[in-house]
Amino acid sequence: MADITILYSIIGAIITLIICFIIGTFLPGIERKYVQARIQQRIGPIVTAPGIMAPIKFSFKENLRPNSPAPGLYKALPIVSFLAVLLILLFLTPQMYPAYLLASIIAIVGLLKVEEVSYVLMGSLSKSVMSLSLKFPDIVKGAAHTSGIVRSHLEDISSKRSLRMITYGSFPLYLALFVPVVSAKSLYLSDIIKYQMANGPLLFTTQGILAAIVFFIGSVIVLNESPFNIIEAEADVIQGPYMEYIAGYRSVIYLSKGLLMFTLSALFTILFLGIPLDLLSWNFIVFVVVALIFTLFIGILNAFTPIFTNKQFYPVVIASTLLGVLAIVIGILI
Amino acid sequence: MIEEKIPKSQGELIETEISMGTVHPAALEPYRVRFFVQDEIIQEAEITIGVNHRGVERIMEGLPVEKANALTEKICGICSNCHTWNSVMVAEKGLNIDVPERANYIRVIMGELERLHSHLLYLAHGNEVLGHETFAMRIFYIRETVMELLNMIGGNRVQYGVSVIGGVRPRCQLDDMRVQRLNEGMDKLEKDLTKFTDRFTSDPIVNSRIEGIGILPPKQAKKLGVTGPSLRACGFDYDLRTEMKEYDDFDFNVAVLDGCDVKSNLLLRVLECFESIKIIRQAVRNLPSGPITNRNWEMYDCKAIKHYIEVPRGILYDSYAIEDGRIRSSIIRTPSMTNIGAMQYAAIGNQITDGQLCIVQCDPCFTCTDRTFEIIEL
Repeated sequence: MADITILYSIIGAIITLIICFIIGTFLPGIERKYVQARIQQRIGPIVTAPGIMAPIKFSFKENLRPNSPAPGLYKALPIVSFLAVLLILLFLTPQMYPAYLLASIIAIVGLLKVEEVSYVLMGSLSKSVMSLSLKFPDIVKGAAHTSGIVRSHLEDISSKRSLRMITYGSFPLYLALFVPVVSAKSLYLSDIIKYQMANGPLLFTTQGILAAIVFFIGSVIVLNESPFNIIEAEADVIQGPYMEYIAGYRSVIYLSKGLLMFTLSALFTILFLGIPLDLLSWNFIVFVVVALIFTLFIGILNAFTPIFTNKQFYPVVIASTLLGVLAIVIGILI
Repeated sequence: MIEEKIPKSQGELIETEISMGTVHPAALEPYRVRFFVQDEIIQEAEITIGVNHRGVERIMEGLPVEKANALTEKICGICSNCHTWNSVMVAEKGLNIDVPERANYIRVIMGELERLHSHLLYLAHGNEVLGHETFAMRIFYIRETVMELLNMIGGNRVQYGVSVIGGVRPRCQLDDMRVQRLNEGMDKLEKDLTKFTDRFTSDPIVNSRIEGIGILPPKQAKKLGVTGPSLRACGFDYDLRTEMKEYDDFDFNVAVLDGCDVKSNLLLRVLECFESIKIIRQAVRNLPSGPITNRNWEMYDCKAIKHYIEVPRGILYDSYAIEDGRIRSSIIRTPSMTNIGAMQYAAIGNQITDGQLCIVQCDPCFTCTDRTFEIIEL
């Protein structure tokens, strides 16, 4: 009997992952076509283009060796990043709740860190032709600073920025994750859901509203969406860590992005509305609606703001961090 | 008081060099830029052009004057009309050809329409570099009105072939229908541009990205020989149009701002757009009747003649001699040539993310500027 239950749990978790993955692939297209393009008064791409058709197209392209000191590791990183996101989503399913520590905030934070660290490595391992690798006679007679200087690739800046993101950029998101922990007095997702079933959704409390705002800002930062996409700012580092990815590896990146969008919105629904990610329940519609609302807000933010440089980035991160701390303090006091 | 910036000289401590290009999405044209940075702050910048050399001056050598004039249009895809206009004016000056008044008015209308489309393209590109896709798209949408009018008069959206020696081509004649469309276009453009300007100037985040960025002190602007709107954005009240006889009949203001930064540069172009609308309206209202081409002229040899006009990016210089009806010793100097120094200087003290913006603020057109090249074995 126990074996059958485990089998059903595994099948349930896998089906949930597949359904969530399919929904996730539509989100970038919805953001681009129905939010940004509508705001910008243009037709926009086909809704399936950014999340589904582009990965399919890239997977059929010829794969070339990237200009990287460790091409194998460089190619593996998008897959690592994708698996990290997939594992987060897996641990959000109720079938995984008995696996205690894995279905806890600690595991989610750890896996999100894996995803963030992969950007640092991607940036440091990429040496694209867009800057230093291009055969251009920079060091010639009359040129400025011809000696005694470290010549760096564009992706190196991106890598340094990713490192800074790990130290302070993603801080708001992690603070927001701990607000439900403080209220429920437990790290486990199952306890957080139980607490909200008994006391009502956290979103409708003071600390919940504050934390939800901080969570949203933190999510946009972690998703590298405009205006917080400084690690892949087109004005200088172009695509940053992703620059050298082609063919199937690029399609994995595209798929990861859609999946991460859905995963973060699902995490929000669990932490602030107290609804378990159960495919067989009508509550699953709430997850889809929250994912669409998330996409809508991200699209609006993207369309109405220019890219933030450090000058704008620091105040936003500091303000949202303070807001997150305030939410935690309120959570402790109440 | 705007402080002077001092670039780090050879041998001084600089952390890293970041090179970009020659292909970069933030650059409309191919050029190489090396930023010397300390903790993401640019200490010095070096721009290298020369990858798009087409040898226009060399090709012009020995060509019949009319054919060479048509060729100048190919120098630039944005200000193609101005290149032909100035080149034609060199011949008209050298051969003492009178241009009919109506033709001059049509040339001014085309010149100002081109200024509008160039400035709007500049604004859209500036917003793209800022990362504000919506504003960029909006500007492209507004610009479409101008492009349609250019298409209506010139028959093309890019290279119009309006000016010929002695006047303008017959297909550029402005009949009542075209005059009406010009009037309607200007009304629509003014309305759309006013709305956009209100939104653009009142956006606090956009303002925080462009205020105090890419500072070019007036003293330095003068020293570097900056020209055009970039000079006027540094507080200098100088526009060659006030000295051009073609503009004698028109009442317009020279827009001047003294912010010396990206914001001043962007807003100055907007103000110039309104002035251009004003000039076009006057030209359409007072359009003289009469012929549009003077065909009573003779070709004879003349020594090198030079002529300057104010184009969207600044002062354009054209010079050539005529020998047996053919061009000799052609020299064309575009405004971006004198503005390169300003672009390099403006980038100093800003973050790398703003580096391209500092270059873009001077409205570079390096493809038009490429004149010399050196073959280096790599």
